[in-house]
Amino acid sequence: MPARRSSAATIVLDAAPSSILAFEDFVEVLAFLSPSEKCRILVAGGEMFDNVVKHGAPLRDGRVAVRARRGRSGPAGRAAPIQLAFFFKAQSFAAFALECASGGEGIKKPLFDPAHRRWRGFGLVMCRNLARRVVFRPGELMDRIFLEFEPEA
Amino acid sequence: MTQLDITVHNEHHRLLLVTSGPINSYTFTDFQEKVYKAIAQADTAVDMERVTVLSSAGIGVIMTAMEDAETTGHGFAIVNPSEAVRIALDSTGFGDRFPVVKTLKQV
Repeated sequence: MPARRSSAATIVLDAAPSSILAFEDFVEVLAFLSPSEKCRILVAGGEMFDNVVKHGAPLRDGRVAVRARRGRSGPAGRAAPIQLAFFFKAQSFAAFALECASGGEGIKKPLFDPAHRRWRGFGLVMCRNLARRVVFRPGELMDRIFLEFEPEA
Repeated sequence: MTQLDITVHNEHHRLLLVTSGPINSYTFTDFQEKVYKAIAQADTAVDMERVTVLSSAGIGVIMTAMEDAETTGHGFAIVNPSEAVRIALDSTGFGDRFPVVKTLKQV
């Protein structure tokens, strides 16, 4: 079986809550993802984008770059993983990311928010359950988050 | 860009909220307002066949609606969820706790 070539697409979004709609539009048209793969990436990626915008603010340049990629298929036709990456530079997010990377101790447990009459705190739980791997990489020049997904069989 | 659209129907003494589009961090307040208002008034079902995304904010609203339903004594159900909705509910780790039915007749 011939190896499937790598496919990738990138979008740069304003670090604003309304950009979640542009993120969803971006994922919806990715031709190298199946409908089921898109669903997982829409949910997990959307949650991560929200976290970056809410907890990473203020971002340098006020922007977040998002790259979706399906790698090359492996030996014997093994399906290639899908990766969603976020690139940005936050003032406060490095500490948040370090905390998450150290085992998730910093992730708040879901709780009921009486002020907004809504349960909150499921976002990162959903991310971790949908993605095979979540990697936070704070850096001096650029902070990065990588979500890796199982390809559809 | 796709927007959330919710229409409310009165069917057999039950309120049916037909929902289409994304329920995300940007659009969920409309969903929250209509669901809470409905559940305070009557048995409520939310048709989610055409929901393209369900975020944690939307799930938080559904969980609160389930609790409100218990408090008010009204029924609450999610009808015919799309694949995106099923994936989101399952990703919480307790997807089987949500009151999901295939058709309105099962409510």
